[in-house]
Amino acid sequence: MKHGFLDQYSDRDSIIARLDPRAKFVTTLFFILAVVLTPPDSWLAYALYFALMATMLLLSRVPVFYVFKRSLVIMPFVLLVAIFIPFFKEGEVAGSYNIWLWQVSVTYSGLQVLWNILVKAWLSVLSLILLTSTTKLTQLLKGLEQLRLPKVMVMLLSFMYRYLFVLVDEVMRLKQARDSRNFGGRRLWQIRTIGNMIGTLFIRSYERGERVYAAMVARGFDGRSRTLDRLHFRRADACFAIGLSLVLVFISLFNLFY
Amino acid sequence: MATTYAVSAGGVANAVRLANKKLGEKQVPLMGILAAFVFATQMLNFPVAGGTSGHLIGAALVAILLGPWVAVLVMSCVLIAQSLIFQDGGLLALGANIFNMGIIAGFGAYYLYRLTGSLLGDNRRAKVVSGFIAAWGSVFLASIACAIELAVSGVLPIGVVLPAMAGVHALIGIGEGLITVAVLSLVLATRADLLKLQRI
Repeated sequence: MKHGFLDQYSDRDSIIARLDPRAKFVTTLFFILAVVLTPPDSWLAYALYFALMATMLLLSRVPVFYVFKRSLVIMPFVLLVAIFIPFFKEGEVAGSYNIWLWQVSVTYSGLQVLWNILVKAWLSVLSLILLTSTTKLTQLLKGLEQLRLPKVMVMLLSFMYRYLFVLVDEVMRLKQARDSRNFGGRRLWQIRTIGNMIGTLFIRSYERGERVYAAMVARGFDGRSRTLDRLHFRRADACFAIGLSLVLVFISLFNLFY
Repeated sequence: MATTYAVSAGGVANAVRLANKKLGEKQVPLMGILAAFVFATQMLNFPVAGGTSGHLIGAALVAILLGPWVAVLVMSCVLIAQSLIFQDGGLLALGANIFNMGIIAGFGAYYLYRLTGSLLGDNRRAKVVSGFIAAWGSVFLASIACAIELAVSGVLPIGVVLPAMAGVHALIGIGEGLITVAVLSLVLATRADLLKLQRI
C-alpha cells in the first residue's frame, strides 16, 4: 500500500530542497525560537515572519493548498489546550456569561494570550512543514547525526521510518479483518478487541524484528549503517543559514526599539 | 522549559549509554520496529464517552515488556518523529514531552508494575492487575507532571490546572489500563516467553 503521510513532496527539486539538511534544521529551530520569544503585541514582527515563511514556501514549490491543509490539521489540538486561558487570566473583563450554574468571564488579556498562542503555533507548524516537505527523512537523520544526535537514536529513528509503512499495512489488514467480522457491540467488548489487535501487532512486530536482525547479520551488519551519499555543506548553505538568522535578529532588534 | 530539556537530555543520554552497554547491536532493529509499533498502535482509536476517541500512549506497555530505559528511548524517538514529521507536540516542548511521556510514564509504569507484582505474587492475575495499575498510573503521573510544568511556567494557576488535568487523565488512564491489560493477557496466552525478556 502507498502511504503519503510522511515526508510527502520531499523528493521534489527546488532551491530550498537542495539546501543542506543541517542548515535547514538549525534555521528552523532558530525561526521557532524567534517566533516564540516575540512579545504578543508586535503585529509588524508577526507579519514579517509570515512574509518570510510565505516566500520560502513559494520558493520550495510545495503545493500551497497542501501546506495550508496540513497546517490546519494540528490547530484544533492547540485550540483545545489554549481555549481555557481567556476564562482564567485575570484582567479587564471583556464579557461575562452565565453557563448553567457558573458565572464565567472572559478578559482582554486572556484573549490576547489565546490569539498569540494560535499565531505562534501556526507559524511554527508552517516552518516544520517546510522543513519536512523539502527534506527527505533519511537526509534529515544524516544531518541530525552530524549535529551530534546519539547514534543509537539515529539508528532507531531510521529503522522506525523504514518499518512504519510495513506496520501501518499490518494495522490496516487487522482493521479490515475486524470490520469484516461485524465489529461493534458494547464498549468493553470493543476495548478487548482492540487490545487483542495491539497484542497481535506487538507479537508480529517483535518476531519481525528478530527476522530483520537475522537477515541483517547474514548480510554483514556490524552496528553501523553505511551509505554512499555524503552531505556537503556548501557556500550556499552557509549563506542561507547566516542570511536568515540575520533577518530574524534584525526583526527582533527592530521590535525591541520601536 | 530549559529545566525539562536538561532533565530529559540527561535521561535520554543515560538511556543511550545503558543501551550501548547492555544491548548489543541486536536490540537496535528490534527497538526501531517497536518504535514503529508504538506509532502504528496510536492509529487505532477506541471510542470514549461523547463521540470523542482516544488512543494508547504505549509507554507503560513498552516499559513492562522491555524495561524503563528502553521505554525512554522508544518514546523519545516516537516523540521526535511526531514533532518533526507530524508537527504534533512541538519542537520546543519536546523536552517536556519526553520528560512526561517518556521518563515519568516509563519509570512510573515500570516501578508500579514491579511493586504491585511483588505484592500480589507471581501468577497470571497478578500480572494483569499490576499491568492495569501501571498503565493507569503512567497516564495519571504524566498528567500531573504536565500540570505542574504549566503552573510553574505561569500559564495557569496550579489550583485550576492540576485538578483539571489530573481529573481528565484519571479517566483517560482507565482506557490505557484496559487496553494494556488486554494486550498483556494476549501476550501471556500466546507467547509468555516475551514477558521474561531481559529488561533495562
